[in-house]
Amino acid sequence: MMDNKTFILAGIVIALLIGGVAVFFASGDPDGLESTALVVQGQKELTGSTPEGAEIHEDLTGKFSYESPMPDYSLGESMGSTGGIVAIAVGTILAFLVVLGLAYGLKLINKPAKQNQ
Amino acid sequence: MHIPDAFIPIWQGAIYWIIALVFVALALRWARNEMSEEKLPLVAVLAAGIFALQSFNLPVSMGTSGHLVGGALAAIILGSPFAAIFILTLVLIVQAILFGDGGITVLGANIINMGVIGGFVGFYTFRGLMGVTKSMPVSVFFAAWLACLIPALACAVEMYVAGTFPLIEGLVAMGIYHAIIGIIEGFVTVAVIYLITTARPDLVDTGVKAPAGA
Repeated sequence: MMDNKTFILAGIVIALLIGGVAVFFASGDPDGLESTALVVQGQKELTGSTPEGAEIHEDLTGKFSYESPMPDYSLGESMGSTGGIVAIAVGTILAFLVVLGLAYGLKLINKPAKQNQ
Repeated sequence: MHIPDAFIPIWQGAIYWIIALVFVALALRWARNEMSEEKLPLVAVLAAGIFALQSFNLPVSMGTSGHLVGGALAAIILGSPFAAIFILTLVLIVQAILFGDGGITVLGANIINMGVIGGFVGFYTFRGLMGVTKSMPVSVFFAAWLACLIPALACAVEMYVAGTFPLIEGLVAMGIYHAIIGIIEGFVTVAVIYLITTARPDLVDTGVKAPAGA
């Protein structure tokens, strides 16, 4: 059976590979929610392809807006697919660390309480 | 189905946030009390894997793409819907803050859809079908399919309440697109659970006893 180290390493490598492949092969079509927005705005037929210049009209009045550091999983046009790979790799590792860190932290808090029982 | 800030008024986003926080608190309690320490590697690897899978938009025809959600996967393999809420919440936070995928004021709604609804639908569909079919792949497939479809329908209803989509048109379009995305979600979830069960059977606790001879 795989030990923990191998399991974690294999898992992260597979995740990074999926993310790397995604940069090159991901579909550029809008996702389900965006497609639905285009359909209800009359820019796209339900089962038809998405027109070239289709753009979702957003009513931003009274709504919050936020500029993320790596919008659309890229580091900007100039960085191209390298930027995309870096962005997804950063996200993948960060998701791993945040979940591991919080889960581990919660376990630490719990320890003294358990010993008292 | 990550909702952007522009799709929901702030006050409605706040209501979803409050509901989401209740479930997030329960998920934190799950991680502290129920999740065994031995499962830490699996929980963290699942987070990395779900993040990567969500970044991969697959073509689903009809000018639309979709990616996996992973709620059913996390809930089934860790034996609790709160596992899905725990992992999905953190993945969604990273996506929203770092990549602008899904908004901030609507993060509560996204947590409710993909984490809470996805986790509960995935988990209980799996449990129910396991009892009836006794087949792991069949149960996992339909659980994952529904855990993709139902959150999408919930999202359509939220869009209607927000005044962004008309109800029927939104439900039909979201339903059709995610019924297709869900098929991919089903196959991938079956494959991932098979792989992890083969690599580390000790880490997998679906809460369902394997039927004799299966």
